[in-house]
Amino acid sequence: MGITKRYGGVYALKGANFSLRAGEVHALIGENGAGKSTLARILAGSTRADSGAISIRGAPVEIASPLDAQRLGIGIIYQELDLFGSLTAGENIVIGNLHFPEGRLVGFRRMEEFCRPFLRQVGLDCDIRQTVATLSIGQMQLLAIARALSMDARIILMDEPTSSLFDDAAERLFGLIAALQQRGVSIVYVSHKMDEIFRVSDRATVLRDGETIGTVEMASTSVGALIRMMVGRELKIAPRAARRPAGEIVLAAENLTTAKLREVSFELRSGEVLGIAGLVGSGRSELGAALFGIDRVTSGTLRVRGELRAPRSPRDAMAAGIGLLPEDRRLQGLMMRMSVLENATLAVLPQISALGFIHRRRENASLAPVARRLALHYPSPAAPVSQLSGGNQQKVLLARWLLLNPAVLFLDDPTRGIDIGAKQDVYRLIGELAAAGKAIILVSSELPELLRCCDRILVLNEGRVTAHYHAAEATQEKIMSAATNAGARA
Amino acid sequence: MPPLRSGVVLLRRARSLAALVGILLLAIAISPTASDGSRIFLQAGNLTDILRQVSLIGIISLAMTFVILTGGIDLSVGSILALSTALVAMFLTRGYTTHIAVAILAAVAAAALAGALNGVVIARTGIQPFIVTLASMIGVRGLAKWLTNNQNIDIGFGRDLAAGFAAVFREKAIVIGAYAAAAALFWVVLARSVFGRHVRAVGDNEKAAAYAGLPIRATKIWVYTLSGLFTGLAGVLYAAENHQGNPNAGVAYELDAIAAVVIGGTRLSGGQGSISGTIVGTLIMGVLTNMLRLNNVDSNVEMMIKAVIIVLAVAVQRERSGN
Repeated sequence: MGITKRYGGVYALKGANFSLRAGEVHALIGENGAGKSTLARILAGSTRADSGAISIRGAPVEIASPLDAQRLGIGIIYQELDLFGSLTAGENIVIGNLHFPEGRLVGFRRMEEFCRPFLRQVGLDCDIRQTVATLSIGQMQLLAIARALSMDARIILMDEPTSSLFDDAAERLFGLIAALQQRGVSIVYVSHKMDEIFRVSDRATVLRDGETIGTVEMASTSVGALIRMMVGRELKIAPRAARRPAGEIVLAAENLTTAKLREVSFELRSGEVLGIAGLVGSGRSELGAALFGIDRVTSGTLRVRGELRAPRSPRDAMAAGIGLLPEDRRLQGLMMRMSVLENATLAVLPQISALGFIHRRRENASLAPVARRLALHYPSPAAPVSQLSGGNQQKVLLARWLLLNPAVLFLDDPTRGIDIGAKQDVYRLIGELAAAGKAIILVSSELPELLRCCDRILVLNEGRVTAHYHAAEATQEKIMSAATNAGARA
Repeated sequence: MPPLRSGVVLLRRARSLAALVGILLLAIAISPTASDGSRIFLQAGNLTDILRQVSLIGIISLAMTFVILTGGIDLSVGSILALSTALVAMFLTRGYTTHIAVAILAAVAAAALAGALNGVVIARTGIQPFIVTLASMIGVRGLAKWLTNNQNIDIGFGRDLAAGFAAVFREKAIVIGAYAAAAALFWVVLARSVFGRHVRAVGDNEKAAAYAGLPIRATKIWVYTLSGLFTGLAGVLYAAENHQGNPNAGVAYELDAIAAVVIGGTRLSGGQGSISGTIVGTLIMGVLTNMLRLNNVDSNVEMMIKAVIIVLAVAVQRERSGN
């Protein structure tokens, strides 16, 4: 098919190929950002491909909208479940449904007749007048599947369907998948949980950096082989800096538990870079939220320089010497309508002001030194930050933390979506900060990045620490299997 | 400033400024003439009348700019103004005090307290500012009416304390001076202070403001407190000008203040705006009113024309800025 999808200058998919047989469960796997979800969205008509062709049963088709996909018998269950929370279960099934004979008025009796068989089929026993918001996540998922079936879908795409399900709900889903398969429905199963993939699917296609690496029969492959296909890129890693002697312990977590973390323990010394590996949703960002006073710690202890202290707010955390570079710089980091200078100095205003008024000259003078250190390029200090490239925007956020200069800095996926040059600058900065005695926690989706920058690596999975490696003993395969539940199978 | 940024800002300001200049020219052109052939609109007395007439809404809209910059809204200002007029008149005429300053302070403090209450509820509960201030718009109006038994409290022209107060605080110079001083204060605070920076940051991206450790709650509480406080001041001036404390004063003032702010180019969703824009917006409305009244246009027609101007002014500014 050779599907290509570009976002700006970045290729999400580069000529990806994929074929699906009738009645099979086909897993689509790859690392974060490999293009799995983009491919699923293109097939479902919610995103259009820039080039490439799609054919169904040998006939070329065009999927320009979700409605086109529905006509072609393609249904999708999104990870974030696209249901209308304040409408009823029945309304969610019939709305926009080409197979529901729509009159001017919607009668609940007619709706009931239409929906009941599909609800029975997925094993969801609920009143069609019940609003969706009152259902559990697992029930919502079943409802979404019932909706796809009611649209007479012959191909159902499931994007990370178990990401928000508990074990028993996941079991029910697997049973349903088997039943659908019996009836000749084909299922595309997007996931990065190895145990599930081996359990439900017949074949798997591996994507990496937007390209198809290969399609394999599950019966003739192993977890290890798949992981090698997922991560097996050329490792262009510059030699690691010489090991630094680590200093005293600045941060110690013991059995740290929040709504999203389960008994996480670790120690962090000054001059050390601790990597956090894990998939999105593994608790890696939530660890930052706990350290930075955003999520409430429900049990366990946190010591900052030996002193028992669980920050209650970001302000509190900053006072304790902890900084956090958030995962999503546009949503959680930058003020897009403010200037480069205003964004950079936002957290240090008290230091550059007197009697509540900002000292203009001191503010202007503060930016240049950190900008040089970061190789931050900007047209002028007053330029709106929205005009900068992604890499330079990220550097503005880093500048904010360099100005505050905390002893512990939590960097949540700092190189996400930035170009290679800017990545190198970030790596260099991490090395410099550690050499200067700062303690760094680095979260990353890219394993080579962790292997390159970190002294130790902690692997999180479903909120728990599943492995802990010294840099020398860690490999991409080991980390990946600890992060994907594969440990039990491999 | 880089050429692009300053260009956009200039264009935006220039557009609301251009609208003001256009309306001024139109007002001059169609102004009726006095017996000596001069245009009445341009007489010093008329021009200062305009400034005096816009001063009360002007003061309220300065603080409203801060509220809107944080992404909020304050619908309670009309009611708070009424409370302030009632309190200052009660203190002056009922012998609670022998000092004018005490009466003014009491009225302004009560108004600031009402504003602070808005702020605390908004910051603590997270209920939308529209709803919280809608509630206090109703509640504070009730309080003002209850305190006064729904009666106007007249401030006489005699020689008593109240009359002395009115004589001073209805002076054009005092009223316009108060507006000018407040405008200068708000302008400096927004442009130069840490608080002003926080106000814009919270309105631009509240989540990011939290991640930067900014005092979001305190910032919100302060903007509503300031809104109450300055509305209280406007209420004191209102009482002097109209020689009465009036629990029914200030109806729909919140809408005039919001109109002035948005005509001045401040985004209703927060994060972007300026005090200079708000001043221009206030003047546009003032000149328009004056022009229409000089030409004896029916006040109902005046409202219809204002409606068109508000939409036009905002549409023209949106067109280029793209948001």
